Amino acid sequence: MILEVRNLVKKFDGFTAIDDISFEVKEGQILGFLGPNGAGKSTTIYCLLGLIVPDQGRVSIFGKDVLQKRSEIMTQVNYASAEYNLPWNLTVWENLMVYAKLYEVPDPKKRIAEVLEIFELTNFQSKAIRDLSTGLRARANLCKALLNKPKLLLLDEPMASMDPDVVDKGIKLLKQIQKEEGITILYTSHNMWEIEEIADNVIFINHGKIVASGTPLELTKNVLKIEKGEANLRDVFIRLSREGEGES
Amino acid sequence: MYLSVYQERGRVNLNRVFAVILRHFYLTMHQMERFFDVLVSPVLVLVLWGFLAKYVQNIQTQSLASFLLGGMILWVIFEKVSTDIGVNFMYEVWDRNIISLLASPITFIEYLTALVSIGFIKILIAFVSMFLMASIFYNFQITNLGFGLVLLWINLFIFATTFGIFIVSLVLKYGHSIGPLTWILPFFVQPFAAVFYPISVLPPIFQKIAFILPISHVFEGMRYALKTGQFDAGNFWIAILLNAIYMSGSVAFFAFTLKNVLKSGRLVKLI
Repeated sequence: MILEVRNLVKKFDGFTAIDDISFEVKEGQILGFLGPNGAGKSTTIYCLLGLIVPDQGRVSIFGKDVLQKRSEIMTQVNYASAEYNLPWNLTVWENLMVYAKLYEVPDPKKRIAEVLEIFELTNFQSKAIRDLSTGLRARANLCKALLNKPKLLLLDEPMASMDPDVVDKGIKLLKQIQKEEGITILYTSHNMWEIEEIADNVIFINHGKIVASGTPLELTKNVLKIEKGEANLRDVFIRLSREGEGES
Repeated sequence: MYLSVYQERGRVNLNRVFAVILRHFYLTMHQMERFFDVLVSPVLVLVLWGFLAKYVQNIQTQSLASFLLGGMILWVIFEKVSTDIGVNFMYEVWDRNIISLLASPITFIEYLTALVSIGFIKILIAFVSMFLMASIFYNFQITNLGFGLVLLWINLFIFATTFGIFIVSLVLKYGHSIGPLTWILPFFVQPFAAVFYPISVLPPIFQKIAFILPISHVFEGMRYALKTGQFDAGNFWIAILLNAIYMSGSVAFFAFTLKNVLKSGRLVKLI
């Protein structure tokens, strides 16, 4: 098992952000992590990264406890979110070199050239991040996320605010890389189409609790109570979010 | 268990320390104001104080002028290093890079080591430029202090580092809105640091405060050495002892704050 979360609980000033959740992700699996705003997705990811200490429960990655072996584990993990930038005044190449050193990537110049080519950023490598469009910045973030050939990739809305064409290309690229390198991915997004395209399995979280899980098609059938048809996570999302509103 | 983020067992990984230094080297190359901060601003300060010292020298004694120039050069070491540690940390927050950085394998001890190393490199450059300028234009050789200068320098650097770590802890605890304190806090120390005057001219209550600050003993030691040509071992050891106490306190406060922000989730809300 690549990732194991057991009975995770996190409260902030009496507010329960994560309420006793458990899940696991197998090697090579892409897990869609869904939920409305404030459901506890990002808090869970920060617990996985060891940047928030849970009140109860345990996170283990590659069979090791994150709070005890964080640094060792993170050499084989990477993270990207559209919410965070690479430093604006540095060029794409300089940023990637800094992160290559942080992750101790062997032969960093070669690896940087590879990831730049994968995300078609070679022609932009000398440009400062501030001079790139939102889409290109997100691609630079993904370059950074793949630099160390991670075994586990945590992507928190990595393609937010990108146009559908760029998202489509990004998703296809990620799927291709995931197949070639066997990366395990935990992926959050508010774009249900993205999740349908990329995820093998989906966990739906609301008010800090896991309220549904399964493949996109299983979720659609179970939540919408339909026998036939294609995966429709958009309607699943709306149904589960509104049920949650009723509970709160 | 929080210590895993702080520092895991084993050595500090110098590759990761170097990565953060490299990030700030690139930043300095791209931002002229950072270059000014290293080289131009210390020189400008010296120009101002150099002329003042020259004027004082004409109406007073040679030693008073030396006290002013020596005080200024050593004060710049404290001010630059202590603010630089905080400012470089703030840069990661302003750039919205702090989460990506801390999500990497770097530990907080490695990160702080990098910030201190950057301060050391920059102050070395600033010190050399100020030394050259003072000796060429004002005929003031701070190296006349001999090996004692190195010992004064070490004490100042330790206290500046202590101060810088304390400022980073405050930003962790209270968020980036208190960032401007990074520049202001060192100046709260200045009146008690006895940079340009001896502790004895201070009112009794201020003298007591000055006595418990390592920096005031450094400046007392500098004046003694410039006046007598002898090293002031008494003030040196008092400064070392006080530095050990302040550094332990600052590191303990940092560890305590880090533990709290990891628990409260404030670390990820710094941005």
